[in-house]
Amino acid sequence: MNDNRWGLPDLGLGVGLRTTHYAHILSERPDIGFFEILTENYLDTGGRPLYMLDQIAEQYPTVMHGVSMSIGSTDPINFEYLAKVKALAERTGSLWVSDHICWTGVLGRNTHDLLPLPYTEESLAHSVERIKVVQDFLERPLVLENPSTYLEFADDDMKEWEFVARLAEEADCGLLFDVNNVYVSAYNHGYDPVAYIDAIPADRVCQYHLAGHTNKGTHIIDTHSDHVVDPVWELFGHTIRTVGLRATLLEWDADIPPFEVVHQEVLKAGDWRRQEVADVA
Amino acid sequence: MSLERPELTRLQRWMQEVVVHPGTVEEAVASDRAELHIPSDRLTEVVLPSHSMTSAERVGVYHGMYLMRMEEALEADYPVIRYHLGDHQFGHLVREYVQRYPSTSYTLNRLGDHLPQFFLDEPEWHDAAFLHDLARLELAMTEVFDGEESPVLGATELEAVSPEVWEDARLSPISAFRLLAFKHAVIPNLVAYHEDRPSPSPRRRASWVALYRRDYSVLRLELSRAEYDLLKTIVDGAPLGEALTTAAASKSPRQQAKVFRWFRTWISEGLFTAIES
Repeated sequence: MNDNRWGLPDLGLGVGLRTTHYAHILSERPDIGFFEILTENYLDTGGRPLYMLDQIAEQYPTVMHGVSMSIGSTDPINFEYLAKVKALAERTGSLWVSDHICWTGVLGRNTHDLLPLPYTEESLAHSVERIKVVQDFLERPLVLENPSTYLEFADDDMKEWEFVARLAEEADCGLLFDVNNVYVSAYNHGYDPVAYIDAIPADRVCQYHLAGHTNKGTHIIDTHSDHVVDPVWELFGHTIRTVGLRATLLEWDADIPPFEVVHQEVLKAGDWRRQEVADVA
Repeated sequence: MSLERPELTRLQRWMQEVVVHPGTVEEAVASDRAELHIPSDRLTEVVLPSHSMTSAERVGVYHGMYLMRMEEALEADYPVIRYHLGDHQFGHLVREYVQRYPSTSYTLNRLGDHLPQFFLDEPEWHDAAFLHDLARLELAMTEVFDGEESPVLGATELEAVSPEVWEDARLSPISAFRLLAFKHAVIPNLVAYHEDRPSPSPRRRASWVALYRRDYSVLRLELSRAEYDLLKTIVDGAPLGEALTTAAASKSPRQQAKVFRWFRTWISEGLFTAIES
């Protein structure tokens, strides 16, 4: 199996840390490989969220996952935000910092959505330069996630997977490969998700995401509100055969069930991981 | 206007205008602010249709999710206002509010910071003065929730202060503390929300509250006018001797005892972090 080029560890199976699960985690100490925190939830609080995070970070490896870096935006980079991200990473000992290949706003506004980038040479060059600046500031590799998208721009110069692969190579950054997002975008845009997976540079991938979604018939929305569907599990199997084993995280952000349900769901990923290891052996 | 390939800056400004527009997606695409960047009749030259959706419908996915997200964020910080107004009115409020005060922060936790001001800006909004007070209460609760943790000044530390410096000593409140005066009774609406009872009709009646945090929970002390005045004098930095003497001056021994009882309560509830002499 390939490793990522930074030697970032395969942390096994993790789940997204959510407030409704704080008490369960601290009292039951579930057997879980790591937790992923939503960066922005902990940047400006000195209250309960940070208190809980400090306790959990003492007991489990953590990684940070943000939604407001807006790496593809044409607005200036927000260094005040980055300074807080860096400080939180140091406080929690997060093994890596991730965000999304997207933009979230311009002209000083934040829509708080992961808006799609056009897959053009201009957009690629713009994002690559900004990633380099951010990585220099953070003094650690930035790990970026392929987003779910709901539209395609007519002037795209390349397919999404080519954009993602070139972005990672040219900016020298890591990838957080979201298998559900590949499935969602492939459904919405009518392409082959396997072609996407096969085009991803394995040594750039540091982490996987899995999640449930909502199928509206005409399109799929990445809602993180349900169990992972079978076709996504199949794609996950193909991904770990192609890319290798990486820290694997289940996201569940809406209609959040008890921790045990989320835990059981991510344990399914463990079955897939063991199967792939057995097949390789 | 010819439409060469829109450069990234123009494309992003156009898309943001469409996404945040309060009307339908068709109105958004045809709005003056969006047309400034990309003419609406050229939409299909910018966004491809899919096998099942038109170009407008595809942009509409983002447009539709924007207001839902804003509403979720504001409901998280203002559950009592949402409960009081109901879904329909609250949705209307969100639509108007985010037009005037869109998010400019990396965090949605600050989206609602201007809601008290919004009701001052919009006095014609039904019950605006009451909603202004209620918004101040809920905003202060979020600030107390997120405030920095402070060491708490206890009775032991106070007893260690020598009598000769007591008169000129000043008390500093913990960071997670807010003192509020209202023109309306707002606490009954907060209680009704928590007890799942109908939200009371707005009532104009002065009320005073101290919000603070203990063991990471947000707590409140409902105060009389006299309690509020004394506590405000103290947290504004007046010397303790002056504050307590003023509060108890020309009052009966019973009143003086009451003042010292208030003071003991505030100390035992952990409202102060330091005493400076």
